[in-house]
Amino acid sequence: MKKEISPIVSLNVNPCKMCMPMGSVNALCGVAGCMTVLHGSQGCATYIRRHMATHYNEPIDIASSSLTEEGTVFGGEKNLIKGIENLIKLYDPDVVGVSTTCLAETIGEDVPAMLARFRESHPDMRAKLINVTSAGYSGTQFEGFFRALRALAEQVEPNNCPNGKVNIITGQISPADTRWLKDLLSEMGIDAILLPDVSENLDGTHEAEYNRLKSGGVTLAEIAQMAGARHTIEISTFAAEEYSPARYLLDAFGVPFTRLNLPVSLRDIDALINALKSLGGTVTERLRRERGRYLDAMFDSHKYNAKVRAAVFGEPDFVYAVTGLLAENGAMPSVCATGSVCPGFADKVRAEVEPLSEFHLDAGNVIIADDEDFEHIEQYAAEYGVNLLIGSGDGRRVAERLKLPLVRCAFPIHDHIGGQRVRTLGYDGALTLLDRVTNAILSGVEETFRENLYEKYYKGNSDTKVTGNKPVEKHPCFSGCAKSSARIHLPVAPKCNIQCNYCVRKFDCPNESRPGVTSEILTPRDALAKFLDVRAQIPNLGVVGIAGPGDALADFDLTRETIRLIRQIDKDVLFCLSTNGLLLPFYAEELISLGVTHVTVTVNAVNPSIGAKIYSRAEYLGVKYNGETGAAILLANQIAGITRLVAAGIKVKVNTVMIKGINDRHIPEVMGAMKGLGCEIGNIMPLIPVVGSAFEALDMTNAHEIAAARKECEPILTQMYHCRQCRADAIGTLDNDISFKFRNAPQPAASGATTLFAVSSESGVLVDQHFGHTKAFCIYEYKNGSIRFKENRKVPQYCTGEDDDAVQSGKMAAILKTVEDCACVLSMRMGDSPRNALRAKGIQVYTTYNRIEDAVNEALTALQSRR
Amino acid sequence: MNTILEERKSSIRQGGDGSGMGCERGSVAGAVSQRACVYCGARVVLNPITDAFHIVHGPIGCASYTWDIRGSLTSGSERYRNSYSTDLREQDVIFGGAKKLSAAIDELAEHRNAKLVFVYATCIAGVIGDDVDAVCREAERKHDIRAIPVKAPGFSGTKSQGYRMACDALMRLILPHKSDSEIRGVNILGDFNLAGEMWIIKNYLERLGIPVVSAVTGDASYETLIKMPMAQLNLVQCAGSVNYLAKLMEAEFGTPYIKVSFFGIEDIGSSLIRTADALGDARAARLAREFIAEKEAELAPFSARYRPHLEGKRAAIFVGGGFKAISLIRQFSAMGIETVVVGTQTGQPEDYELIGQLVGSDAVILDDANPSELEQFMREKGADILVGGVKERPLAYKLGIAFCDHNHERKHALAGYEGIENFTREIHLSMNSPVRRYMEGGI
Repeated sequence: MKKEISPIVSLNVNPCKMCMPMGSVNALCGVAGCMTVLHGSQGCATYIRRHMATHYNEPIDIASSSLTEEGTVFGGEKNLIKGIENLIKLYDPDVVGVSTTCLAETIGEDVPAMLARFRESHPDMRAKLINVTSAGYSGTQFEGFFRALRALAEQVEPNNCPNGKVNIITGQISPADTRWLKDLLSEMGIDAILLPDVSENLDGTHEAEYNRLKSGGVTLAEIAQMAGARHTIEISTFAAEEYSPARYLLDAFGVPFTRLNLPVSLRDIDALINALKSLGGTVTERLRRERGRYLDAMFDSHKYNAKVRAAVFGEPDFVYAVTGLLAENGAMPSVCATGSVCPGFADKVRAEVEPLSEFHLDAGNVIIADDEDFEHIEQYAAEYGVNLLIGSGDGRRVAERLKLPLVRCAFPIHDHIGGQRVRTLGYDGALTLLDRVTNAILSGVEETFRENLYEKYYKGNSDTKVTGNKPVEKHPCFSGCAKSSARIHLPVAPKCNIQCNYCVRKFDCPNESRPGVTSEILTPRDALAKFLDVRAQIPNLGVVGIAGPGDALADFDLTRETIRLIRQIDKDVLFCLSTNGLLLPFYAEELISLGVTHVTVTVNAVNPSIGAKIYSRAEYLGVKYNGETGAAILLANQIAGITRLVAAGIKVKVNTVMIKGINDRHIPEVMGAMKGLGCEIGNIMPLIPVVGSAFEALDMTNAHEIAAARKECEPILTQMYHCRQCRADAIGTLDNDISFKFRNAPQPAASGATTLFAVSSESGVLVDQHFGHTKAFCIYEYKNGSIRFKENRKVPQYCTGEDDDAVQSGKMAAILKTVEDCACVLSMRMGDSPRNALRAKGIQVYTTYNRIEDAVNEALTALQSRR
Repeated sequence: MNTILEERKSSIRQGGDGSGMGCERGSVAGAVSQRACVYCGARVVLNPITDAFHIVHGPIGCASYTWDIRGSLTSGSERYRNSYSTDLREQDVIFGGAKKLSAAIDELAEHRNAKLVFVYATCIAGVIGDDVDAVCREAERKHDIRAIPVKAPGFSGTKSQGYRMACDALMRLILPHKSDSEIRGVNILGDFNLAGEMWIIKNYLERLGIPVVSAVTGDASYETLIKMPMAQLNLVQCAGSVNYLAKLMEAEFGTPYIKVSFFGIEDIGSSLIRTADALGDARAARLAREFIAEKEAELAPFSARYRPHLEGKRAAIFVGGGFKAISLIRQFSAMGIETVVVGTQTGQPEDYELIGQLVGSDAVILDDANPSELEQFMREKGADILVGGVKERPLAYKLGIAFCDHNHERKHALAGYEGIENFTREIHLSMNSPVRRYMEGGI
């Protein structure tokens, strides 16, 4: 089950897995002369072909039984038989793999029985039929791959005559890695059978003659011989016993087997070589040198690799193997996730990562999970401070949103070239992968270290230096709506701890959010997701504000967590928050250390007796204070908090709500006091008398009064004049204003004669339709030397192939009526009978294939010459 | 080995005659059709709606293979680039998936502020008896959102049926927004804003003073779509996918439509003028003529530079629908390139007839062709370049034939005047690449 870290538990959001037939087809590509037919809808085959074609850059031909509605209801045997027959005619394959899909399994197709009947009715057939049960919902491509291998081992007639060979069974490894494996076996002198062997079929050469049937791969005879092999090595950590070919060969023919991990970590590569050695293989000098070179390289890059905090995702075997590689190199696999359901996964992966806890003393936690999707992987990556992604190209969305490098080294890769040549196995393959990992980190450092360190340490030589790198005021409130930065408000703070008389709790605080718009409340995780969404659309998103709908400090855990999550993935964004200041003395230090740079405090009075008219209550340390006591506590804390923030260099803005008859004459005093505390800017805002609030009967402060108050206060403290404009644009409205009233351009006065043309056009651009097929004529008008489209006129279609003469002549009459005001009919072709009927009415006929405007011009010339 | 199956013969027309083509039928089993399915057709049309939640109700495969693979761009929400699937498992198949679907929509409505949800029911949902209509109805009632079922099991027809389902879904979305007021401007139907193409067209129209109300479905959102009924005119570009919608809108809202194409120099020019004329906007028509003259003059030196490198070559085309094939033949012909093989996945009889009029008497015309046929005819006719989709690309390369990606995944515009330059360059850079010289010979 999907873990409940987000409220979305019933949906897979951005799958980190594919379906069983995908795995099955991939495995069958490693068999010589094999073609696969998927028993199901046409789309399954096409989608899988498209996925494989972009990854492998090879033509991938997969047939479908193309089940229809009828086949779904009455059974698909007819389609399947036809499909196999046709596939044999087109490709003459040695093997036909028949993989089922969701649909075939759900309607209960008995494929083995169908194939048995097929064999009976086609006694001369050369091809071997293999049936793979692979409903898309029973597992992922990982399971589908092994199911196909198991089906091959079970269904090919065995030849258990001892042959001294070693069976090597693998999951979905790349063609290049398969070639490496074959070279290794030959170098060590091991006579082996590889199941499957995709080395040629999924990474072919350029041949003078293209052959659509792929002849590389393991042959049927070799698969038969697997029963007589002396040993099997199955390279898969998590292949289920039930679908393990090695297990089958042991149970059926007594071939012993060894299970090994994918040889990616030094330990696992050594294990493979040692296993082959114990089977009589020779460890060559060249191999030893290769190992030595790998050790040398591990040392060379170990300090860089210690900086790695990776998210690894993909098939269980892959994730386990890469985790091992990272752990050996001191790199931190912070997120290890697979899309498959894999019971032993977490325990085995944890055992790889555990030793790192003694090494990475402050690298934080690790998360290991199966049955995951990319929505979760992205959240984990953000939360666990990941700096690198390792997996398939499907991680590109996470990479784009979190701005992280992605090392693409697993199927599928759609956005890079060379999926078929990815190397991860053996000393040199692992080293290729390791170098890619290291270099991704090095590139990141190289591109950012100057700027980062400048930002961190350079505090400026007062105002003598102005460079492009120098931090400029990015906050829109403080810089007069700088166009350079957009802001986002994240509503993560629902609680409030004072009651203002102008506020009704069930609405947003009118101070900091637009009144009348009740916000959704976001969890910190959702807030992060929203931030990422917005950042993806607005690249200059520079400021994150936490502004309610309550008070940002009333439940500080939420505010702190939100800031922390966002800071982890965006080092540059500015944080600001707004508060009534009641708890400011408690959290000022933490705000400073979190890197909050801008704080807005709402101060409506600096005199408790005035404050008491504005605030009805303050809840402070568990006690409710009313009247002047409450207002006095609030004021004292505002002063203490602001003083602390200003001392730490944080920019403080003061919001004051102007309430006529209560604090309007007191505002200059407020501004003066705030100037004295070191506040940067003041913002006088109008009272909005919210219905249901204590102040609902008061007058709204008008713009003129606000302007006058700002003018009066400007000499005391710099005033903000651009508040509202910013708000409306906080995240940007995207609708284009297209609703302005219909105003048609004046038409030129009519003069001169008008000539109309009726045009048969299918495309609407060309005269490209038979007269008889026309369902609507485009009417063109010639007037004052120019040709323009006038309208469409519907007509009954003259030719349907079904009508008798009487009906047709009725239709012709209707057409003649419709075009009677036209001088000419233009069609691509026209029969004699309508042609004569039109001419009898004095309507000319012009047949052509041309652009409509050109054709009308030609017809016009023809008409004029006739006259 | 055979190349042509008996059942396929009626869908292969030689001698440049497209009349009487065997088309608009299911694929032949085992023929290795290049077609996708009903679900694919529906998803292609609706997916660019940026702020909708597109939920695939079924096992994971269909969602996994259609996740963020297309080049439709957005100026607003990025939500459509995510994949949402109920990811049905064995237990769901046995006990039914409707509850899971219902819970999924609840979660999106409650925690993701969903306003618009499309539920694509794939092969299994219908077979196991999930009442997707009822789930959607209930969700709309409960949450005051739009939840629109798209029942698109792959076996229920071809991609074309999927287009119709998408059009029906769109009608269902906009029908409640029927209004007597009118917005000055047009809807663009059948442009998916691949590589920003809808924006290019929109910019052209706005230069003529013609606002664009909404597009189906490039860069569309719930807010823009519900304004559609108020627009003055529908411009229908990709007719195969949205002609049906234009007809529905004409019947329901009285919105007239004209067909347009913004591919190729002639089509762009006439489409702009026709749009202005159809609106009865003389000023726009005048501006269009000026704009076209300016753009064509700008393009002339470019075309003159490239044409000598292209003239006399031969092209093969295998694309999704008739609209694209016809437009490509004409664009090639404008470059001096002859089309010798042309096929589509889901063309209609009229399309093939027209194709027959456009190509030479030697050309081969195919419906729902497979790799063996493409291979044979491209070789036989000596094609220098193939225009097609992702699946056809590796075949062309294996045969040493140049290739142009004319699919929904591309990241460069092929529409508009800039599209002409991109298209011409791409053809040239593949067809005349030095790489092709090394494919013969050996060591």
